[in-house]
Amino acid sequence: MRKYTIGTLLAVLLLVVALGAGTTGALAAGTITIAYSEGGHTLDPVMANDLTSDTVILAVYDQLVTYGTRKLPDGRVVGVTNDIRPMLAERWTVSPDKKVYTFYLRKNVKFSNGDPVNADAVLFTLNRIANTPGNGSFLFQVASIDPKQVKKIDDYTVQIGLTRPNAMFLQVLAMYTFSILDPAVVKEHGNEWLASHAVGSGPFKLVSWDPANGVILDANKDYWQGPPKVDRVVMQVIPESSNRVAFLKAGSVDMAVEVPPKDVRDLRAAPGVIIRSDPSVRILYFAMNCGVKPFDNPKVRQAISYAIPYKQLINDVMYGQAQQLRSPVPDGMPGYNGSAWHYSYDLKKAKKLLTEAGYPHGFTFDFTLGSGFDDWEQDAVLIQASLAQIGVKMNITRMARPQFLQLMSQKKLTAFISKWTSFVNDPGYHLGFLLDGKGPANYINYDNPKVDALLAEASKETDTASRLKLYEEAQPYIVRDAPWAFLYQYARVVGIRKGVSGYIFYPDELIRFYPLSK
Amino acid sequence: MCALTFTSESGDPRPAIRGPAGPKPVSPEHRDQLGRSRALLWRLWRNPLGFLGMLVIVGWVAVAVMAPLLAPYSPILPDMAHRLVPPEPAHLLGTDQYGRDILTRILYGSRLSLSVGLLSVGISFLLGVPLGVAAGFFGGAIGQLIMRAMDVLLAFPSLVLAMALAVSLGPGLTSAMIAVGIVGIPDFARLSYGQVLSVREREFVESSRAAGASNLTIIWRAILPNILSSLIVRATLGLGFAVLTAASLSFLGLGAQPPSPELGAMISGGRDYIISGQWWLATFPGLAIATMVLGFNLTGDALRDILDPLATRRKG
Repeated sequence: MRKYTIGTLLAVLLLVVALGAGTTGALAAGTITIAYSEGGHTLDPVMANDLTSDTVILAVYDQLVTYGTRKLPDGRVVGVTNDIRPMLAERWTVSPDKKVYTFYLRKNVKFSNGDPVNADAVLFTLNRIANTPGNGSFLFQVASIDPKQVKKIDDYTVQIGLTRPNAMFLQVLAMYTFSILDPAVVKEHGNEWLASHAVGSGPFKLVSWDPANGVILDANKDYWQGPPKVDRVVMQVIPESSNRVAFLKAGSVDMAVEVPPKDVRDLRAAPGVIIRSDPSVRILYFAMNCGVKPFDNPKVRQAISYAIPYKQLINDVMYGQAQQLRSPVPDGMPGYNGSAWHYSYDLKKAKKLLTEAGYPHGFTFDFTLGSGFDDWEQDAVLIQASLAQIGVKMNITRMARPQFLQLMSQKKLTAFISKWTSFVNDPGYHLGFLLDGKGPANYINYDNPKVDALLAEASKETDTASRLKLYEEAQPYIVRDAPWAFLYQYARVVGIRKGVSGYIFYPDELIRFYPLSK
Repeated sequence: MCALTFTSESGDPRPAIRGPAGPKPVSPEHRDQLGRSRALLWRLWRNPLGFLGMLVIVGWVAVAVMAPLLAPYSPILPDMAHRLVPPEPAHLLGTDQYGRDILTRILYGSRLSLSVGLLSVGISFLLGVPLGVAAGFFGGAIGQLIMRAMDVLLAFPSLVLAMALAVSLGPGLTSAMIAVGIVGIPDFARLSYGQVLSVREREFVESSRAAGASNLTIIWRAILPNILSSLIVRATLGLGFAVLTAASLSFLGLGAQPPSPELGAMISGGRDYIISGQWWLATFPGLAIATMVLGFNLTGDALRDILDPLATRRKG
């Protein structure tokens, strides 16, 4: 009996040692390991809506068209979303009225199981998106695609008709949602199967997906653009940001995403680590519900906007890994106009505006703090302390994220902080969502007829320059109305081990694995 | 009927230690009480761990009461120029990510923790004891119903139940307090139920019943005084549990809301800074909770040894 227990103990010990060696051993050559904060929710391109899932989808599938890239003077390479390049479609033509697009597909492209990528696959994919409620069919509206006018001309030619000319169409087509699926695979296994499996024509093949631990992707050696430069990409789930940082420092991972700003300085000094920090179009704003007293008075909202210690938020909370947001449209999005922004930190001016609005002694309001983001809480506490100096009492209530999102979408919150990333890097998409009187993400009852009219006019305009001009014209109205206090634009911080190259920043913040090498 | 004391009727085999007779004549009852409390202190003094626990608690209570006098800074005003300062003479326990003095926040935080502990144990006590006594005294269907309901409450892991209650009451220190109080009810109900069962058939209860006393009088005058000692022990131990659970709720974001200096919330906010080297953010509030809970537990254990000799005998 005793021998037996000692034997068991030894066996367990050996197993532990073996497992330990497996996880802590040196990183294999040809494999790139990237630390992610979460493991994704679904691999179905139409349903996916988180950074990890979307990244996997872009690695496994191709789209008809894709975004171009540009090398900046400082050597960084970034994606350019309004520079549309061929992918599965080698070229396309547009009708004179800009309502019909004809795509000519590349021949001899195969899915990784050998099936051909042809017009049938494209039609199947587009019809599936049109018939999926939610994310997919909504994007059809955004891009003005007419589902009835998606036609096969021949095996390698597809025609897509729009309900009206739409400048965002090609940009939407380049999104992960529009990944071309193999109809044979989907018909054989069904839609449910796509949520946890993926077979595409992209540069990588999905080996395994475990939302709790991570994703393993192997190179597709027969990829039509040539095999990837690495044999394998491992996306390892490490939820705690401090652990991602520790792993990166120790060289246990090659890259880490969502590096906390407070660790950037330390990591920059660490040997073997390079920090890539790119200004993103992800914005953070302090929203004030225009339908709730006293925020129905623009003077009150302006007063709050003057009482926010912007520099403190950017320098002390974000450690400089952010820049001042000067308009609802972020710097870096076409049509950005930050000229009207004038809200420096000025408590005297804030107090004066409050007095003019009829609140010389301030007021009390409820602020809801969604959980999950450290910087939000720090911002809230600093804003609270600053507002107290002009007599405004801000009561903070912490709330779990799902409940927060629900109450926010019901337009019930008086004031809150929230972030936003526009997947289509376009002011029409961005403002149409957030600040149009009928915008689906206008959670604060902001309604300015002048702004709505300008947005409506812009969405009909086919000339790119005049369209952007209309958006530039609309922004100063919003800045003066101050439905938000404009807090900051995040930088996308990625930690990379020396020797790993090919990282490209895209405004959608998804990493494309194909260009990576080690 | 009137002299129901711990020493005679509750079955303590040890002789009562009575205080010296004072110069003024005192009523026998008064003298009895005086003697008892002195005896209690004397026995605590003889129990070094219990005495230590008592000292710790007295210390924390003193700190909590005098927080505004002792604290060198404001517990909530940020001072970004001095954030993440390690312990130094100006900030004995360092500052947090907002530049707030951690010592100051712990001083104020002890007020929150102690009052939440007291109030939630009060809730458990005031709801749990009547339920348990009723169940034990009346028995029958009512007793079964009450005690099975308590079993249902006990079947949930206490922290999970507290979280569920705190969420449904809406986040905030008050809901955390109520949640912790409710979670503690079955403990008091079960204890008082068992104690009532053990004294229900004793002679002094029988005699009051024979004397024609009403149920309420019997419970109030004959039963409660005899089970009070175990309840006091349980309440003292419960204080430690309540402080810890309330801090856990705040740690999970369900209790105190920013910027209030609650100890659990301070640990939660500071834990991200441990790996990057700023250990003092989470460590000192953690030590504060630990000593507070240890104080209550040591005192509770000592009180049990003194007040509840039956339990001691069973143990040893």
